[in-house]
Amino acid sequence: MSEFVRVAALSEIPDPGKNVYEVDDRFVIVIHAGGQVYCLDDVCTHDDGPLGEGDLEGYEIECPRHGAKFDIRTGKPTLMPATQPTQVHEAKIEGDSIFVRLVD
Amino acid sequence: MSVQAAPTVDQWNAEAFNSYVKQLGEPEWLVDLRQNAFEAFEEMGWPTRKEEEWMRTDIRGFNLKKFDPPKLDEVVDAASLPSGVLAEGVDIGGQVISLNGRTGRSTVSEELEAKGVIFGDFATVLAEHGDLVKKYLFQGEFDPNFDKFSALHAAFFSGGAFLYVPRNVVVEQPLHVLNLIGDNGVDLAHTLIVLEEGAQATVLTESASLDDDQPGFHCGAIEVVVGDRANLRFVNLQNWGHKVWHFGQQKGSVGRDGNLFWTLGALGSRLSKVNQHVALDGPGAHCEVNGVLFTEGKQHLSYHTQQYHRAPNCTSNFLYKAALQDHSRTVWRGMIKVAPGAQKTDGYQRIDNLLLTEHSRADSIPGLEIEADDVRCTHGATTGRVDEEQIFYAMARGFTRKEAMRMIVIGFFQQVFDRITLESVREALGHAIARRVREYE
Repeated sequence: MSEFVRVAALSEIPDPGKNVYEVDDRFVIVIHAGGQVYCLDDVCTHDDGPLGEGDLEGYEIECPRHGAKFDIRTGKPTLMPATQPTQVHEAKIEGDSIFVRLVD
Repeated sequence: MSVQAAPTVDQWNAEAFNSYVKQLGEPEWLVDLRQNAFEAFEEMGWPTRKEEEWMRTDIRGFNLKKFDPPKLDEVVDAASLPSGVLAEGVDIGGQVISLNGRTGRSTVSEELEAKGVIFGDFATVLAEHGDLVKKYLFQGEFDPNFDKFSALHAAFFSGGAFLYVPRNVVVEQPLHVLNLIGDNGVDLAHTLIVLEEGAQATVLTESASLDDDQPGFHCGAIEVVVGDRANLRFVNLQNWGHKVWHFGQQKGSVGRDGNLFWTLGALGSRLSKVNQHVALDGPGAHCEVNGVLFTEGKQHLSYHTQQYHRAPNCTSNFLYKAALQDHSRTVWRGMIKVAPGAQKTDGYQRIDNLLLTEHSRADSIPGLEIEADDVRCTHGATTGRVDEEQIFYAMARGFTRKEAMRMIVIGFFQQVFDRITLESVREALGHAIARRVREYE
């Protein structure tokens, strides 16, 4: 497993809010919601859609292509047409920074 | 942070382009072609996932800034270069080897030269047979304005090979082209193959990295022109290292009663986005394409094929097989197009995908656009996992799991191998795939 990498200052992402970052050649969405940070692949498992460009509603993010929704905490799909989870990664707040550690 | 590549990059801007073209010292007609392509490159934006063509291929990680145009003053030590895998044990009639777009070796047998065959590295052929190059370069299916990458290629291309086979000349010995990339190298090779009426030839082209762990950038094109009644056997093996970005335009056309047998192997690269189009331009033209894709790690190979029937009584047969390991991805979009009046068309396209791991993924989108009313067009795609019962059966008879897996994978590809008539190509592909198959629980 890789190490935690600082991706942004906490102030860069409002609560609620999100941003897309490149970490180790991989594009991930970092989400600030409910005082916590979450990280998942910027990929909708239905059709490779740009999940990071979708709307955030509570703990769900909606793919702008076909409306599939995912739980940002688990990566699991909560609405068709997606049926497979998108990869979640570890994210944490330390001081005023957001750190991410990629899984796999 | 921004996730879009910058629209213009210092090393590839107008000043760099002008300096590059000046160093090339090419004739005015070619400078004009390059200039037009460069202007198109400057005007076009980078592809985004909003476009149908790119919606499953994410190139946000690609940054042109990390690469420089080929260094034209770089001298290549031919003796230090590998010779590739396709020509092993083959009696070849000529060979062109390049490194980072610079020619290291260019040979052709005297026997072929005596027959009027022209073969060699692009710069040499251009200097000696400029009018012939002018007649065919960018005049066929290759379109510099197709996208930003094709425009970049047309503006900056260097290296590659040119083959011209005159009317009714039969070339028995295969001709071999090897394009290599070194550390952080760039390959912008342009391969142009022209067979006049009734000619016959076999061309083996391949690409490889000197070091599989080094990044690289290939932005190339292949133009194939098969004249009336001509026969071409063409092999293209993409075997770059796993950190190479590969963008390719591979376009062919076949004349009346001509035959194009095209074998495509795609094993390497970090990400590939290839458009492979064949146009059947004369009545009775035939094209057969055999594609083998084998992926591992986080590779992403995207192949967009098109078989375009522009004339009546033509046949096309595209068969692809893809096996995927680890977290790798393939995207295949196949299109059979039939123009108005192209009656009695027989078009076939198929891809079979074998998923060797849970996290690999294959997207297959076959398509038809038919504007004639007396045709037979068949297309299909299958995707499946390895059958555990087959593994068990083989293990019950003494094979290890890995041996069983390898046997099943090779068996999966056998249908394509059976259609490849060149033994050296079959062996090279078979060995390369067998080497890569790992054990999965």
